[in-house]
Amino acid sequence: MNATDNAVMAQVSGGEVAKMAVLFERHHRALFRYFVSMNRNRELSEDLVQDVFFRMLRYRASYDPKQSFTAWMYQIARNANVDQAQKRRGEVVGIDEFDDRRPEPASEAPGPEEITARSQDVALLKRALDRLSSDKREILVLSRFQGMKYDELASVLGCEVGTVKVRVYRAMRALEQAYLTISGEKTA
Amino acid sequence: MNCDLARLILPEYLSESLSETQELAFASHLAECESCRAETERLGSLWRGLALLPGTMPEPSATVRDRFYESLAAYRHGMESAPKHGFKEKLAALWPRQPAWQMGISFALLVLGVGAGYAIRPEKQHEVQPDVAQLRGEVSNMRQMVALSLMQQQSAGERLRGVSWAYRVESSDTEVLSALLSTVNSDQSINVRIAAVDALHAFGASPVTRTAIVQSIPKQTSPLVQIALIELLVDLKVTDAATELKALSSDEKIDVSVRERAKWALGKLLQ
Repeated sequence: MNATDNAVMAQVSGGEVAKMAVLFERHHRALFRYFVSMNRNRELSEDLVQDVFFRMLRYRASYDPKQSFTAWMYQIARNANVDQAQKRRGEVVGIDEFDDRRPEPASEAPGPEEITARSQDVALLKRALDRLSSDKREILVLSRFQGMKYDELASVLGCEVGTVKVRVYRAMRALEQAYLTISGEKTA
Repeated sequence: MNCDLARLILPEYLSESLSETQELAFASHLAECESCRAETERLGSLWRGLALLPGTMPEPSATVRDRFYESLAAYRHGMESAPKHGFKEKLAALWPRQPAWQMGISFALLVLGVGAGYAIRPEKQHEVQPDVAQLRGEVSNMRQMVALSLMQQQSAGERLRGVSWAYRVESSDTEVLSALLSTVNSDQSINVRIAAVDALHAFGASPVTRTAIVQSIPKQTSPLVQIALIELLVDLKVTDAATELKALSSDEKIDVSVRERAKWALGKLLQ
């Protein structure tokens, strides 16, 4: 059985820094998706992934093995994102570098019409997510893309679990509004 | 269960993390409340749609992996080259706390040192062979050149390697010190700036280093670099930085974690 993230990070913290490679292989794609969802910039997101792993090495001694590794990593990721945003304040951030209309992998071989309809829905949803404020987008990305539990989210966002629930609900309502607005723009 | 409570646990219902009792209560509320039923259906559809988005997102390019392994190798190299403090700390722990014992031991060591020095004094100062001295000088120049040229590179990975080479030069090398200080103050990458702060440990004896660290803190934009510099002040026991640390700890414009670290450093340095 593979060692848990917490156990591997505890080894890194103890000086076995080469083990960071295990955590990189497990998490760099998810981290990249988090950053891309937040800033829509591929190159910048790749730099931020490097930055997070470097910071985890630099601050490895501050890792508490009782704390969820994922929560700790995303705390660092959020700080890296904030630092980067401060540095880039005033610059024009590249948006929509990616093709929103790429169809998602089909799970049960649907027909061509269904694929098109579903792809359009997904593309709309993606645009709706991009329209949300960064704090609402972030909480949905962390809970839905990264599969984080509410107690982990509370730890990453520095608030109570009850607050996380309220914020997720509000973010979902805002997503619905944005989705309906975009659908209306499309049909108008 | 009323509608407010149902809305509060709706996200947990969608992520299937409700307990059996809560789920039953939620389901029974939906059975009698049409508005909550409709909302659960609409938001549930979006929630399921969100799970499809990661599959449509791009993968990071292969260079991410290459850069990570290059940085990891440079970091490990830097760690191996860094001076070890373990023995020094163990030795310090043996030192007695009573001043009378301290004076006694100091005097005994002084007498022992003078006696031993007299006993083993050479007849004539041993001279270093000129060719060995020249070779040492050339190696030192080469290390300096590698460190300086790598620190000027475009790639952050290369600059990190340059910083790790700084550990191999003499701590009196003013050119490398100046390059490290310039990296700390103006490198574009936070990683490289933090690595350069670490490398300054070896140059801590120089008053130039100590003054430059104090001056650099307010100029930094990243709280992480500021914290690393504050920790360096404590490691180097720069007690004359107390005024600046006090100002930092009460400056509302500065990140709260930096202010807290400055307070901590102040306590450490004034102990």
